[in-house]
Amino acid sequence: MLIAQATVNGLVVGLLYLFMAVGFTLVFGVMRMVNFAHGEFYMLGAFSAYVLTTGLHLPFLVSVVLTLVAAIVVGGLLEYLILKPLRKDELNGMIVTIGLAMVLQNGALLVFGPDPLSMPAVITGTTRIGSIVIPNSRVYVVVFAVIILALLYVFLRYSRSGRALRAVVESFQIASIQGIPARVFYPLGFGLGVGLAAVAGALMAPLFVVSAFNGTTPLLKAFIVVILGGLGSIPGAVVAGLALGLIESYAGLFFKSSTADMIIFLVVIVMLVLMPRGLLGKGDV
Amino acid sequence: MVTRRISLTFGAALVVAAFTGLPAGASAQETLKIGAMVTLSGPGAAWGLAMKNGAQIAADEVNAKGGLEVAGKKYKVEIIAYDDKYQANEAVTVTNRLVHEDKVKYMIGPLGSAPAVAVLPITEKNKVITIMMAFTPKALGPDKPHSFRVCITTAEVSQPQIDWIVKSRNLKKVGGLFPNDESGQVIAKDLQKAYQHAGADLVAVELFERDRVDFVPLLTRMFAKGIDAIELDGNSPSTAGLIVKQARELGFTGTIARTGGPATADIVNVAGKEATEGMLVHTPLNPGLPSTKAYMDRYQATYKSPMNGFSPSFYDGANMLFEAMRRAGTVSDTDKVSHELENLKDFSGALGTLNWTGKQSYGIDHQLNIPFYVAEVVDGAEVIRATCSVDKCE
Amino acid sequence: MSEMVKKMDRRAWGLKPSGLYAGLLLLLCLAAWPALMGPYVLHVAILVCLNILIVNGLSIIERAGQLSFGHSAFVAFGAYGSVLMSMHFGLSPMAGGVLALILAAIIALVLGGVILRLKGVYFVLVTFAFAELTRLALMDWADLTGGANGIAAIPAFELFGYAFDTRPRFYGLVLVAVAFSIILTYRIFRNPLGEAFRAVAENGALAESTGLSVYRLQLLAFIIGCMLAALGGVLMARYIGFVSPESFNLNVSVGLVTMLVIGGRGSLWGPAVGAIVLTTLPEVFRGALQTQHIFYGIALILILRFLPGGLAGVPGLLRGRQKVS
Repeated sequence: MLIAQATVNGLVVGLLYLFMAVGFTLVFGVMRMVNFAHGEFYMLGAFSAYVLTTGLHLPFLVSVVLTLVAAIVVGGLLEYLILKPLRKDELNGMIVTIGLAMVLQNGALLVFGPDPLSMPAVITGTTRIGSIVIPNSRVYVVVFAVIILALLYVFLRYSRSGRALRAVVESFQIASIQGIPARVFYPLGFGLGVGLAAVAGALMAPLFVVSAFNGTTPLLKAFIVVILGGLGSIPGAVVAGLALGLIESYAGLFFKSSTADMIIFLVVIVMLVLMPRGLLGKGDV
Repeated sequence: MVTRRISLTFGAALVVAAFTGLPAGASAQETLKIGAMVTLSGPGAAWGLAMKNGAQIAADEVNAKGGLEVAGKKYKVEIIAYDDKYQANEAVTVTNRLVHEDKVKYMIGPLGSAPAVAVLPITEKNKVITIMMAFTPKALGPDKPHSFRVCITTAEVSQPQIDWIVKSRNLKKVGGLFPNDESGQVIAKDLQKAYQHAGADLVAVELFERDRVDFVPLLTRMFAKGIDAIELDGNSPSTAGLIVKQARELGFTGTIARTGGPATADIVNVAGKEATEGMLVHTPLNPGLPSTKAYMDRYQATYKSPMNGFSPSFYDGANMLFEAMRRAGTVSDTDKVSHELENLKDFSGALGTLNWTGKQSYGIDHQLNIPFYVAEVVDGAEVIRATCSVDKCE
Repeated sequence: MSEMVKKMDRRAWGLKPSGLYAGLLLLLCLAAWPALMGPYVLHVAILVCLNILIVNGLSIIERAGQLSFGHSAFVAFGAYGSVLMSMHFGLSPMAGGVLALILAAIIALVLGGVILRLKGVYFVLVTFAFAELTRLALMDWADLTGGANGIAAIPAFELFGYAFDTRPRFYGLVLVAVAFSIILTYRIFRNPLGEAFRAVAENGALAESTGLSVYRLQLLAFIIGCMLAALGGVLMARYIGFVSPESFNLNVSVGLVTMLVIGGRGSLWGPAVGAIVLTTLPEVFRGALQTQHIFYGIALILILRFLPGGLAGVPGLLRGRQKVS
């Protein structure tokens, strides 16, 4: 029974992690860039939802949609203005995102202060399936996460820009030979990636507290999910996200939580060494 | 060659200029600097702000009257606050700055136990009086004549409260989540003893990383042991709020208690009124006391944010410090001030009548003995159910 | 061929002997000043020196073409290693320190051996994971390491009975260590070994074809760099008198890399410039910490955009401009 509850917990949390990570892997797949500011966009998404809902009293879902749109636009702009000269330079591009992360986190600290803020719950109560309990707030997020991921899938598979992005992930050279303009797909890829981070943050804001320090955990989880699943592979991220959630949940049953964390990082290192491409990754190492 | 020499000299000049920008740190005759070495970021920020603001209100009141008058001279009280981020390393650097650069002789803080262990050697060596929160028993002792604690700790309050709670709610098995650090571990041990003494059993103890926000796996493990109550003492206010929220979301209908560390306003803020209904909490605040109510109103008017229950302790602590300085007739001889401070009896503060205690546990009476209560949270507010002393609650 | 040499020379500012001596002399003058300014400034100066020492190690690893985001873990090995060995085996601080350096070298050898076949961002990610793993291990194995509470009351460093227990004395010790690390870096950079490192960093395939082993050279650089980090840790523990896992978290690793990049990669003086700027500025501009960090972030972005050689590369740029025109 405990195992069953732990399994459900693990899958739910795994979906949350996947949702946090998918933007990260998209950015790496399209631009070969490790975006250290990924977590900060998640954090800003949460603040955006907070401000729009409690400050402007907009309905929650409206706030989420606005956050998504704003993040895509801002992300695209940032890419164009700041990251453009470093498009071919993986390492330095990554370091620039570190600088960006510093600016974003401390900017949020300046504006909102260090005290964690609490967002009013969107939905309360629990869902019970047999003896298994799932908080409704998490079900809510999971449902939307699945919807957004489905939309993402449709976009990547069937729309023109989506297919262009996928082509870039498959092979950069071939994509550019095909004449897909860099000035479009770079900002688009980055904007979409950080937009996904921001919308994850917005949806999850009512689950926990909203704080300028919230960005570290999504970044770490994204790292882990994406390394395990393969940098640039979205199906890989799906598998890895769920696996991570399950591993954490089961390990948490039998070990102290700190031991569980250690095991996960060990697995990550082993994975990077033995299978750097991850379970389903693409691109060269 | 020439350009390089020029750039070298230029660079050197820049760096020297930057260094000379450091203020010399001499305190003006008329300003009395009091340092505040507290946590202003992360989960402990609610407490840090409470400490800083409490001292600040005391300073403002004294300044409004023209300044602190000691031995015929009037001093403007200035609170210099720095963030230690709850990290021992940072605390050491900040304390060094306060002691050697800002040259303070009085310090509000440390807040956390780990920072306290790291910085008390520095403050004691420099005879800096500390008014602190740190829960660790290592913070007080005859070898630390300048260290004072104005918050009562689990060691003082838990037994009488737990006796009362176990009896009134008929508890058998209790579970507790604690942060995996000095404070958390000390509190977990104390509580285990206290519950056993009261006839119940702290069967589940989970230690977690301080920054953790998802407690569902830990709670799941705990519920599997069939507990009828959750103990929240030892957790920062926002963390406690998250635990309550998630526990209720998972369908836990048992008692939730917090036998130490006032945090009700923040917990209700995070978890909501419904989840916190019926919680039993420790509180040093009795709004029935006029002095307490006056302080709470003053805090609300000045800072417009929920006041953490620890704040009046530091308001009172700062005022006791001022009184000690007046009696000692000096602001610079901290040996004399310490002596006067520890000899204050029946001090009339926001929390009521205050005295020092602690000789039995720590070897020295530097622990403030404040009245405390067990309250039930009803519709988001505390309703006092029992009045307590170190012996019992009723 | 001479073009290539000239190009390499421009990037290697400060590598002429006169450059080294001028720089060391300047540092010495700068170093004398904090000693006169009181305990707090001296405290900051000591922290600066420890950072220079540690970032020099990072610089050597970077020279061979890899950026380590796990550097703080090796500082931790030095700090915890030396303290624990002194405590459990009753060794003198120096003996404990030496053993800790050897321990760090062994760990670097094993770890590097395994991860150095990864390149670029993959190496970054794996060192990042390693740093976090180390911190979690230090927290978890509380029986050995004291867990989250760390180890307190660490006695001062001693060398043949002479105790460095006052601030000025320790400052002298740490200055010697810094000078040593700078001279070591200089010798390595100047040496054919340093040229080999750089060749490997700039074009691995080309270097392999000339008979250099990328793997072995990077491993060597990694071991040396990590040992310098450990040395910094050994000294730091004895100075602060306290170690805890929080002092070795990911932010520290990222901070070290920031110091290197802002100071200047590929330059002998980069680590020193970066450490001085990033350690002292928070103390100079006391308060408004967030604004400072925003400036660091912007500085990082601007430097990578306009000044890839970091601050230390500025004089070289000026000089280069003069030459070219």
